[in-house]
Parts: sequence; structure tokens; C-alpha cells
Amino acid sequence: MNDANDRKHFYVCKEDDLADNEMVRIDPPDQPPVVVYKVGGNFFATDNTCTHGEASLAEGEVDDDFIIECPFHGGTFDIRTGEAVDFPCVLPLKSYPVTVEGGCVYVNLDEGKAPA
Amino acid sequence: MPTIKIEGTGEQFEQTESQDCILRAGLTAGYGLAYECNSGGCGTCKFQLIEGEIEEPWPTAPALSARDIKKGRKLACQCKAKTDLVIKMRTDPEYAPINLPARFEATLSSRRDVTSDIVEFCFQAPDSADAKFLPGQYAMLTFPDGRGPRAYSMSNLPNGDGVWEFWIRRKPGGEVSGALFDELRVGGRIVVDGPYGHAYLRAESERDILCIAGGSGISPMLSIARGVLMDPDMEGRQVHFYFGGRTPDDLCGLDELKVLPGFQERVHYHPAISMPEESPEWTGDTGFIHEIVENQLGNELSRFECYLAGPPPMVQATTKMLQLQGNVPTGQIHYDPFY
Ligand SMILES: Cc1cc2nc3c(=O)[nH]c(=O)nc-3n(C[C@H](O)[C@H](O)[C@H](O)COP(=O)(O)OP(=O)(O)OC[C@H]3O[C@@H](n4cnc5c(N)ncnc54)[C@H](O)[C@@H]3O)c2cc1C
Ligand code: FES
Ligand code: FES
Repeated sequence: MNDANDRKHFYVCKEDDLADNEMVRIDPPDQPPVVVYKVGGNFFATDNTCTHGEASLAEGEVDDDFIIECPFHGGTFDIRTGEAVDFPCVLPLKSYPVTVEGGCVYVNLDEGKAPA
Repeated sequence: MPTIKIEGTGEQFEQTESQDCILRAGLTAGYGLAYECNSGGCGTCKFQLIEGEIEEPWPTAPALSARDIKKGRKLACQCKAKTDLVIKMRTDPEYAPINLPARFEATLSSRRDVTSDIVEFCFQAPDSADAKFLPGQYAMLTFPDGRGPRAYSMSNLPNGDGVWEFWIRRKPGGEVSGALFDELRVGGRIVVDGPYGHAYLRAESERDILCIAGGSGISPMLSIARGVLMDPDMEGRQVHFYFGGRTPDDLCGLDELKVLPGFQERVHYHPAISMPEESPEWTGDTGFIHEIVENQLGNELSRFECYLAGPPPMVQATTKMLQLQGNVPTGQIHYDPFY
């Protein structure tokens, strides 16, 4: 189902595999892990490793307010942009475009962007 | 004496009479409570109070956002236990102190003007007890009458003579730095609590060293550079030392570096100023120090062990540059923002 080279159209999961305020970590080859979130019925994706320490954000908590809270020291990011919101996080995450096609969720790994 | 339990870890410790916060009580007991600045600025020491009562003298510390306050998050470096507590907080062996912090009253043995607003203060520990710390670490200083604490980084090396040396910049209108400058004379007393901090010299690393200091960030960078040149095990390492001030009057540290053995061959000192309009006679580099480092070392950056200290915006801009433009892995970047 997943062509390893298909970085622009990388399969994540079925649309219904995630409930709201849930997320899933993916480990694409040759790049650090990414986390895909579902909030308010929409999907978002960012790098999975916190910029403050070596924490996996997929083990944190995401809220209706589009904020992911890191499980280690409670720093937060905006999942829509990757922007760091609360201390101790200061450096942004990269965020990635996500599309839903025919009930399947895909992330474009080639278009990861950190906010300016 | 309140006992503090960390939920779900089996870790527990006491906060003694003389201890002024939960964080330093836990670190002094040897536990790896997460922290960086000890000063209410970074937010790494956030915790959730599950049971018991605390004293929170600075509930508006800058590290707490409106969201933290709404969720009941507190800072362990700014809260003291009033009763036994159960708290939820991250602990990790990487935060556990290598040298256990200690609290003692020290005597000012000398002071010397370095620039128009930086003074070197040397304190003597009682009975010349070993000054045990790692180059790059800091201590909390408090006046015996309770003013403080504030974090200050040691500029010297650990020693067996009990000497703790600090380069301190007077902050205009600053309470504690102002009092140190105006009131403390040789023979005066200060409470030292330390060492703390993770931006210490990694002597085991084979990489060359990049020190980047802004303003009073010179203090720990001097200690790092001294540590590299005085450690026979680090003989092969070169030190690239970048120091940014506002004007040439702020630049210092070169005299102290020059007297180190191997300075000529191993230290590359790059001063720069950010306000050239004030000093038309200056012919050296101008601009923000992180931009100068990027221009000069650009694609080489990932081969360095990087040490940074100075004002938070400078440390943040430099860390961002090292990670995003320089592709330096996080584990090679060691920083202390001076909140
Ligand atoms: C890790 C670290 C290392 C540092 N190393 C050095 C150094 O080597 N040399 C140097 O010159 N400076 C250093 N600093 C800065 C120093 O700690 C002080 O912030 C600075 O001297 C200004 O203190 P002040 O009392 O003069 O100014 P103020 O403006 O009176 O106080 C500033 C700081 O005090 C703390 N503070 C303010 N209000 C409160 C309150 N109500 N309760 C508790 N804390 C409060 C905050 O941290 C604030 O940033 C370091 C800071 C940190 C975090
Ligand atoms: S590791 Fe994420 S907040 Fe510290
Ligand atoms: S360690 Fe408490 S806010 Fe930085």
C-alpha cells in the first residue's frame, strides 16, 4: 500500500482509525518520525520529536485548541503551524500538508516547513 | 520538614529548613528533577500539584503561560512545600546532578572591574572546602538578608582552594546585581548554592569546540575555554570563541584567554559588536553574533561541540541557526539562556 519512495503521498492510516484529539506516529524511512493528529475532524502533521528534548509528541496530549503538549516538560506547539507556544519549547517543529482521499490519510513529507 | 513524593516513580525527598524551593531540595537529594534556569524563565521544571500545600512567592513568573495557569501548572524552582506533597513531575537521569549541590555562606575575597559594567567577584568557601563543579555550570547567590537568589555562572575552574569566581554584569535597575556592585566589599558575605546547570564541558567529546557568548555570557564561556586548555585529555581540541557585545567597551576575556597554555595554537577569538553606529573607529565584525558565526562557519557547524550563553533572544536565535541552518544535532548544543 505504501511505496517507500512516495514521499509526497505517504500513507498514514484510514480516516476512521483516529478519533478526534487522537494522533498516530509514523516512521518514514530516512527521516525523523512524524506525528499525524486529528482535531475537529481535520488532520494535521508535524515532526514527532520535541525541539526541547528527545520526547515523542505522540505520547503527549492534543486538545481542541490545536495545541500538542509534550509529555516530558509540558511545553506546547500549535499543530497547524509547528510554532512553539509554551515554555520550555522555543524552537518550532516542521509541519507537513495532509490530505484525505477515499477515506485514506496521506502526508506530504517533501513539503515539511518550519514557520519563519 | 516536609516530604515531597513524585507520583509514580517511588522517588521522595525532604525539603530542609534552609532549602528555598522544591527543585533544589530534590536535586540536592540527588534526584534528576527536570530543570534548566532555576530562575522562573524556561519552564522546564513545571509540575502538577496532586496533594498538599505550597508557597508560591512568584505566581506570575514569565515561564508560566495563561494556559499553564489555567491547567494548574507550577514551577518547582519557584515553589516551596508548606506541607508534605505529592507532585507529578518529569525526572530523568540526564538531569541528576553529577556533583551534588551544596549551600554555604562564602566570603568575598576580591573584586576587580573587568569592563565598565562587568565585575569579577571571587568568593572563598568556608574551610577552603573544594569548589566542586564542572566548567560552564552556575550557582545561585542570595544575600544573607534574603535578597535573591539569582543564578550566576562560574568563570573559573573547579579547584581545591574553595574559590568560586563569577563575572557579573550590572543590570540597570537590577535588584541583586545592583546590590552586589554597590554593597558587597571584600570580607562581605553571600550564600552560595550550587553547582547547577547542564551546559557544562563535555570533556569526553572528540569534537572541536565552539563557544558563543553574548554580554555576560562571557563568564561560563571563559570557564569552558579554560577547562579545554587546562585538561591534558583535551589536548587535540581547537576552541573557536565568538563573543558579541554592543560596543568595543563590552568586549573582554581576551587577556584571560591569552595567558592559557596553547592559546596561540588552539584558541581563535572572534569579537563582534552589534551597535557599530556608536563606535566609528571599530574595524572588526559587526552584527548579531549568530549571523557572524553562520557566515564564517556555515557548513562546518555540525563538526563542533557547541556551548552558548547570554541573553535569551541571543541564545534562542543561535540555537535555531545551529539546528536549522547548521544541522547540528541537539545533543551537541549546550546552552544557558540568562533569564
Ligand atoms: C543559568 C543562568 C546563569 C546566569 N549567569 C550569569 C552570569 O554569569 N553573569 C551575569 O551577570 N548574569 C548571569 N545571569 C543573569 C542573572 O541571574 C540575573 O538575572 C541578572 O543579574 C539580573 O538580576 P537582578 O536582580 O540584578 O535584576 P532584576 O531585574 O531585579 O531581576 C531579574 C531576574 O531575577 C529573577 N526574578 C525577578 N523577580 C523575581 C521574583 N519576584 N521572584 C524570584 N525571582 C525573580 C528573574 O530570573 C529575573 O530575570 C544568569 C542567569 C541564568 C538563568
Ligand atoms: S522535551 Fe518536550 S518540553 Fe522538554
Ligand atoms: S528551571 Fe524553573 S523555570 Fe527554568
